[in-house]
Amino acid sequence: MIQLDRLTKSYLTSNGRHYLFRDLDLTLPSGKSIGLLGKNGAGKSTLLRIIGGIDQPDSGQVLTNSTISWPVGLSGGFQGSLTGRQNVRFVSRLYVSEAEVAGKIAFVEEFAEIGKYYDMPVKNYSSGMRSRLTFGLSMAFDFDYYLIDEVSGVGDTSFRKKSAALIEQKRQESGFILVSHNAKRIEQQCDVGVVMLGGQAVFYEDIAEAIEVYESNVLAKK
Amino acid sequence: MSAATKRRRSSWQIQIATIRALFFRELLTRFGSDQLRLGYIWAVLAPGLQVLMMVIIFTVIRLRVSPYMDYALFLVAGIVPWMLFAGAATRALGAVEANKGLFNYRPVLPIDAVIARTLLEGILYFIVFIVFILGLWWFGYSISISHIPLLFISWLLLMLFSFGFALIMMVVGHWSAEVAKFVGVLIRIMYFASGILYSLHVLPDKYLAYVLWNPVPHVIEYMRYALAPTYPIDHVSYTYFLKSTVVVLFLGLLLYRGTERSMVTTK
Repeated sequence: MIQLDRLTKSYLTSNGRHYLFRDLDLTLPSGKSIGLLGKNGAGKSTLLRIIGGIDQPDSGQVLTNSTISWPVGLSGGFQGSLTGRQNVRFVSRLYVSEAEVAGKIAFVEEFAEIGKYYDMPVKNYSSGMRSRLTFGLSMAFDFDYYLIDEVSGVGDTSFRKKSAALIEQKRQESGFILVSHNAKRIEQQCDVGVVMLGGQAVFYEDIAEAIEVYESNVLAKK
Repeated sequence: MSAATKRRRSSWQIQIATIRALFFRELLTRFGSDQLRLGYIWAVLAPGLQVLMMVIIFTVIRLRVSPYMDYALFLVAGIVPWMLFAGAATRALGAVEANKGLFNYRPVLPIDAVIARTLLEGILYFIVFIVFILGLWWFGYSISISHIPLLFISWLLLMLFSFGFALIMMVVGHWSAEVAKFVGVLIRIMYFASGILYSLHVLPDKYLAYVLWNPVPHVIEYMRYALAPTYPIDHVSYTYFLKSTVVVLFLGLLLYRGTERSMVTTK
């Protein structure tokens, strides 16, 4: 379970402070896949990062005992001059004890299927190889929740395909928090939904209902 | 093994594992990549060559004004500790920005990056230091071994001081890029105003008082004394350096504590 307790987050823009959400209270159930819905700029990606503990709210807190992944597919923490193997070793050391590291490195090597490139500097990778590596890395760990952001940054078609596969594979033991503009995807892969609208977020037990609310609001505004 | 049954590590274990991971990442990034044949030896060779150049330049042009010990030894005992301190301070100024990508991994906190780096540079420069001292001894310079513990303790304390100072610099750099630039220049100027290349004893008293505000020359003079007990240490005070270390560490941790959250927050 993840509990959001009176979260407020704002950005300073040239037109003054812009609030993404104010005093947001939410309880996200365990073992469920959660779809975050909302228009561009509603704060979905930011909320995702705050839940993951890698961005901080202005006030309020995230309460949880669950383990939460880094945003899946992310390669910003990779050191270009190091090999895939060395980067995987580094990340593994952050998340598991030293005894388990070798297993993770072997897992990613097998999963990524990039052959001899695994031992070459990451800066020489094609974007395809890079994404195989990052997904392999996410697959190697068992988090209670995975964060998947298909909207900002790396969310191209191959990313979506790979993240769908990740969800299929891990669905039994893990929950997901998914940000996507594709309502159909969210309907297929999420159990519950959160709709972010005008600085508020509403939780829906039924994903179909969440999508309905989201679509009616987006269409009504258009 | 499912997520629920996995053994949880304590926050201490996580931090130590994180520092260790960062330490080896940094070491590999600088020197361990496959392109460099010399591998890890390069880690010591790179700063070593820098020191060697300085020593050759300054011994040859005989800027020497230190009658109490061999000038080459005097220089080594000044330049190497200063490089540790100045390197840690300068790099910390941009540490938050430079490590942004790493903060996507939740276990990594800014302070871990500073600890790992200070530890790495403290060890590398210490090896350089020892290699040079042994080298000079090999060439027949007289080097005292009666104060080895003082040398070791001074080095450890300098690492602690540099760490505390680096924390302050990291906060300063995060707070204002302009001030960071200014401080960076200041540290480079301090190199010439801290008795690294010349002996403090040649300074007139009215300037000396200002130079000795800086705690680093105090410990450097003691290191020189440890290597050559004939070297006079009447101007400097170990107590002052110790007190400064405590103050700098305390201040650094305090400032860091107040700023950590903002360092990993988008604005």
